[in-house]
Amino acid sequence: MEHASEFVTMASFAVGSVVRRCGRLAGGAARLSTSARALGGDGMPAIIERHGKREVIGYGYNGQPNYIDRVDYPIPAVRFKEETPQIKALREKEKGDWKNLTKEEVQELYRATFCRTFAEIQAPTGEWKLALGGTLIACSLAIWVYIWMKLFVYDKMPATITDPQRVEAQVQRMIDLRMNPVQGVASNWDYEKGQWKN
Amino acid sequence: MSTWSQLSFQDSASPLMEELIMFHDHAMLVLTLVTTLVGYIILTMFSNKFIDRFLLEGHLIEVIWTVIPAFLLIFIALPSLHLLYLLDEYDNPSLTIKSMGHQWYWSYEYSDFLDIEFDSYMIPSKDLEDNQFRLIEVDNRMIVPMNTYVRILVSSTDVIHSWTVPALSVKADAIPGRLNQLTFLVNRPGLFFGQCSEICGANHSFMPIVVESISMNSFLNWINNFE
Repeated sequence: MEHASEFVTMASFAVGSVVRRCGRLAGGAARLSTSARALGGDGMPAIIERHGKREVIGYGYNGQPNYIDRVDYPIPAVRFKEETPQIKALREKEKGDWKNLTKEEVQELYRATFCRTFAEIQAPTGEWKLALGGTLIACSLAIWVYIWMKLFVYDKMPATITDPQRVEAQVQRMIDLRMNPVQGVASNWDYEKGQWKN
Repeated sequence: MSTWSQLSFQDSASPLMEELIMFHDHAMLVLTLVTTLVGYIILTMFSNKFIDRFLLEGHLIEVIWTVIPAFLLIFIALPSLHLLYLLDEYDNPSLTIKSMGHQWYWSYEYSDFLDIEFDSYMIPSKDLEDNQFRLIEVDNRMIVPMNTYVRILVSSTDVIHSWTVPALSVKADAIPGRLNQLTFLVNRPGLFFGQCSEICGANHSFMPIVVESISMNSFLNWINNFE
């Protein structure tokens, strides 16, 4: 998860847009939960829960208390940030009429629960440029190998193909023999005019 | 013969090869259809923004996308089977030629009325005339009359070879101790080339086959004047 967000950040750095780092914990280090529920039989923690003091608000995408921005699982399992007294006050205010909330307060409430908006999640990352560039570089390496093969490995082409006099004689013979008269060589020769068709 | 960097079939010299080319076009049409459809689906899958986590057990669409490919396969199979049996039809050939594979040349025997035998070696590249084709010309070609139903019995004197002329849609392995029968009819005059098609040693690539198709009168002249 962390690597994915850093990769996205790296790609978007090249693009120049701002992407939030959403893979790291916001506020508070990982803590081993030592509650009785989480302990195994021998006293060692059975589950390591790293969501700290962040409130669990739903099932999430697999039931584990992890935060992730996913369009198809819109409500995460835990809030993004831990509760601060300021947020707690805003939550109380949120219980009243929403018209009393200022735009900044609404945004602060949103960002306390969510890392990115839907628009930010679905924004183009420019990763395709990296993928296309890498593919083209690999193709060009293959073409370099091909060029090396042609220059240093393969024998010269035989005279029957390279000598223009021989090629002309052979093509003339193909025409005389009516070779491939339906769609091939002889079909492109106009026998009445004695020249190639256009 | 094939010309330089040719990927497609040579033009046919026999009615059965015409049928095979037409069947190939028919099958290629179906392939193009399927490939275009799948390509379009892939492109739209990549570029749409739809999300559906519950895409499971669509019974109707699964029936549709099973029945339609089955129908397409039948559409290909019917002409395929028709041709399969047509290729094996036998109608009392007028002429029988024996083609014996050796390391590394072919020999032909016309023993219906007279005992005619000759060997057919590749012309080496250094001995080619300007207008001769490299690696597929031979000194003595197998001569057949035009528009005549011909039978070739293919066998070998040493290792396994394979006698083929793509323009006539025929190929049969030349196996020592066995006779394989090929029948064809050449419907235009000219030269038709083939190459040994079973690995048979050092010069496997250098034992070609050339069938020369001429008018019946010319053929009879040739037979009578053969020394």
